[in-house]
Amino acid sequence: MSTIGHKTWPKLTSPDEFRFLAELVLKHSTGDHTLVSLHDQQSGTTRFANNQIVQNVDTRRGSLSVTVAFGRRHGTAGTTDFTAGAVQETVTKATQIAHLSPDDPEYLPPVEPQPYLTLPTMRAETAATGPARRLEYTNEAIGQCRMENLGAAGIVSSSIATVGVAASTGLFAHEERTDARFSLTAQAGEATGWGAAAHRSIDHLRVQERTLTAIDKAKRGLEVRELPPGRYSVILEPAAVAGLWSSLLWTLDAKSYEKGTSAFSGKLGQSIVDKRLTLRNLPAHEDLLGIGFTTDGLPTVASDWITEGMLTQLAYDRFTAKGRGIDKIPTLDAPCLSGRGSSLPTLQELIKSAERAILVTNFWYIRTVNPTDLTLTGMTRDGTFLVEKGAIVSAVKNFRFHESPLRVFNRIAAFTKPAEAITSETGKLLVPAMMLHDFHFSSVTRF
Amino acid sequence: MLGHPNSHQDEFAELALKRIVASGAEYGDIRLLNSTTQTIRGEDRRIASIREVQDSGFGIRVLYHGAWGFAASSVLSLEEVPRVAELAIEIAKGSASLASEKVKLADEPVYRDRVVTAQRIDPFAVALENKSALLLETMEYVHRQPGIVRSSAGLWVRRDRKLFVSTEGSRLEFDLLALNGDFDATAVHDGRFASRSFNTPHLRMGYELIEDANFLAEAPRIAAEAVEKVKAPTTEPGSYDLILDPEHLSLTMHESCGHPSELDRALGYEANYAGTSFLTTEKRGTFRYGSPHVNLVADNCEPETLAATGYDDDGVACQQWDIVREGIFVGYCTNREVAPKIGETRSRGSNRADGWSSVPIIRIANIGLAPGAATIDELFADVKRGIYIEGHGSYSIDQRRYNFQFGGDAFWLIEKGKRTHMIRDVVYHGITPEFWGSCDGVADRSHRRRYGFITCGKGQPGQSGWMTHAASHARFRNVNVIEGQAGS
Repeated sequence: MSTIGHKTWPKLTSPDEFRFLAELVLKHSTGDHTLVSLHDQQSGTTRFANNQIVQNVDTRRGSLSVTVAFGRRHGTAGTTDFTAGAVQETVTKATQIAHLSPDDPEYLPPVEPQPYLTLPTMRAETAATGPARRLEYTNEAIGQCRMENLGAAGIVSSSIATVGVAASTGLFAHEERTDARFSLTAQAGEATGWGAAAHRSIDHLRVQERTLTAIDKAKRGLEVRELPPGRYSVILEPAAVAGLWSSLLWTLDAKSYEKGTSAFSGKLGQSIVDKRLTLRNLPAHEDLLGIGFTTDGLPTVASDWITEGMLTQLAYDRFTAKGRGIDKIPTLDAPCLSGRGSSLPTLQELIKSAERAILVTNFWYIRTVNPTDLTLTGMTRDGTFLVEKGAIVSAVKNFRFHESPLRVFNRIAAFTKPAEAITSETGKLLVPAMMLHDFHFSSVTRF
Repeated sequence: MLGHPNSHQDEFAELALKRIVASGAEYGDIRLLNSTTQTIRGEDRRIASIREVQDSGFGIRVLYHGAWGFAASSVLSLEEVPRVAELAIEIAKGSASLASEKVKLADEPVYRDRVVTAQRIDPFAVALENKSALLLETMEYVHRQPGIVRSSAGLWVRRDRKLFVSTEGSRLEFDLLALNGDFDATAVHDGRFASRSFNTPHLRMGYELIEDANFLAEAPRIAAEAVEKVKAPTTEPGSYDLILDPEHLSLTMHESCGHPSELDRALGYEANYAGTSFLTTEKRGTFRYGSPHVNLVADNCEPETLAATGYDDDGVACQQWDIVREGIFVGYCTNREVAPKIGETRSRGSNRADGWSSVPIIRIANIGLAPGAATIDELFADVKRGIYIEGHGSYSIDQRRYNFQFGGDAFWLIEKGKRTHMIRDVVYHGITPEFWGSCDGVADRSHRRRYGFITCGKGQPGQSGWMTHAASHARFRNVNVIEGQAGS
């Protein structure tokens, strides 16, 4: 039982235990190659709405996946049952599938043993978090909203996971990863304000600060104006910038690039966004959620993806990388977008610098409209304001946008230093807040 | 676990429920679930992966002094079940410390029943090599069409064996199947690319669904339409009459009617993530949601549909009811917790979890558009300038479900009552009640088709909801169509 801070928590699969499981798999596998993957997680979420808890959950889930290959025929089986009999059945099932599979011309054997960086993926304070700590943060957020006569809806969550990859090549990797999240929507009648955080350490969620931000936005939203659709200068907070960039990052795969079915096809080495922007992957950054290795067992690496506006990297699968003679596959698990030159220190300074702009807290339901030019659509959400002469003058009804990040990030007026950004639809990134010109809002909704 | 000869499922359930009762909790239940999922994915003329996953575990839900606690585990043992039960009780007690309004569950009879999906051909008994051969051959057929550069094809099968036992005395066993198949073709032309898809619905039946879909007969058409689509002229923005096919309508209904009819959203439970609803409770019974042609019916009893599981994860029997009747909003999807909040004495049975590790939440029912009286020819005949849309494309809607924008998979221009040639980059935009208010014709029952979703995102932690939406073709007047590319 527990060694992670809560008297009733089970112990997750340790490196030695994973090695034992992996050896059990490898011993029973008759395949030419065998790959074993582990994901064992204890997680909890306290969810609240209307100023009280509506859902309070805690889950332990362990899963083991086995891939067996004979030549280029391969099969995968998985189980959540770690008993010896179930593990052996899983190997047998993967073996049966592999025998019945056709040759896969793109199959590659598991990678050889790799060197991994030791990254700060596990924070003891998060691992030690149980329902009581989540309740404490929940109470804090609800209490602050109650004092302002606002409604609070949100979550506090924490998790610890052990993740492993092992293979018949001798590959072995094991890592503990923690994750803590807070998000809050403060409600003042029709008006809403939002704040969110995610971090390896639960001590870094800054619950009070995020709560006050959400409250401030909700209160400012009580008086709302309707502006017509059209082209506006916008100030995008980091979460809104992250929403647009996530959609861009998800379409960087090299295979689509080579087949001509990517918005980036033919643009490697070309300028795609403002030349002041650089995108890097920084797995070791303590404010990002970098990981030590991928599901293939490849080490994550610090790498440049967009350098001074120019696309310099693609997301390679192993087969496509081999075809291109790429030995070290860059990863994009911890993206950081930064701007060169004179950045403003804070979002407030960005607002002060604006003559007239729409301030966007967050985007919602971002979807690709046209994959050829990466036209996206989505709605503003939980805090959209008109800024005039350097100050917020009123809330405005939410807009739908219809734009391509490949266009709008070539129209940057100003930006801040990178800040933490997380939304319900994106992973975590470090991105600046930005002021952009000529941003297309195609319609307005009723609130 | 479940289904195994030496299963301890009843022993586990008894162990958990005894702890819950002893704690003084007013309600508790346990769900023990074993899911087997087989997926075969083909990509560009190869089988990229074949995978079969066993996912077993249990979840225990406790209502203590009017507040919920839930704990779950994939470790099935006589030691783990009491630990998880105690944890669920402890969590519920913590929730109770912040409860200002106590949960009171709507009454429901106690049931002891077993629900099994009817099937003609067991999809797990069909040889894997036959399945992968079908996908490979389908992709080959697709690539015979000049201009095609990419293809994919897939089969997905899931079997859920579940036991639900509650402190009220219900004991429900389930042995449920669901499956679907799909393929697509991608063409390039003049620096652009475009895809065309073929999907069977996700349904609860046997492998006959795949056999009857006849992939090999459909593949050449899909490939040819992908090429026609990528070469088609772009849309001229403006006001058009739209005729939407049942597959396309399944998504339109899902987003603009299904989600706003979830009562937990209307009550603010999803305010921080999926959003709330413009269908607030005072609108029930009076609000004009659509034209008199619009009858949206929730039917969780229709055989083969995804939400027709006999009982939901509250142990409530599946039902049929109206959401929109002759254009007026009249009903919500509810569970035992929220139904009493609007004065209803019984849940509609729409509380479902996406697995053993998830707590049940309100999910959209099998909401479908009731057939009208028109033939397809009659719908087209009265359109001077319109667009016929098939399948799913881009979709986005605001968090209260007013402002939406949908694309599609394929578009044809309608001129003077006739479907003419394909066009591309069509996106239409609307405000939900205005859009449904513009519906002036629904095709008859002979055109009714069912499509479903297994990836409906909601809840924190996120869950994937399953439901089926049936419709016949429908016509909408004067809808705003914009060009689906940057610069518009």
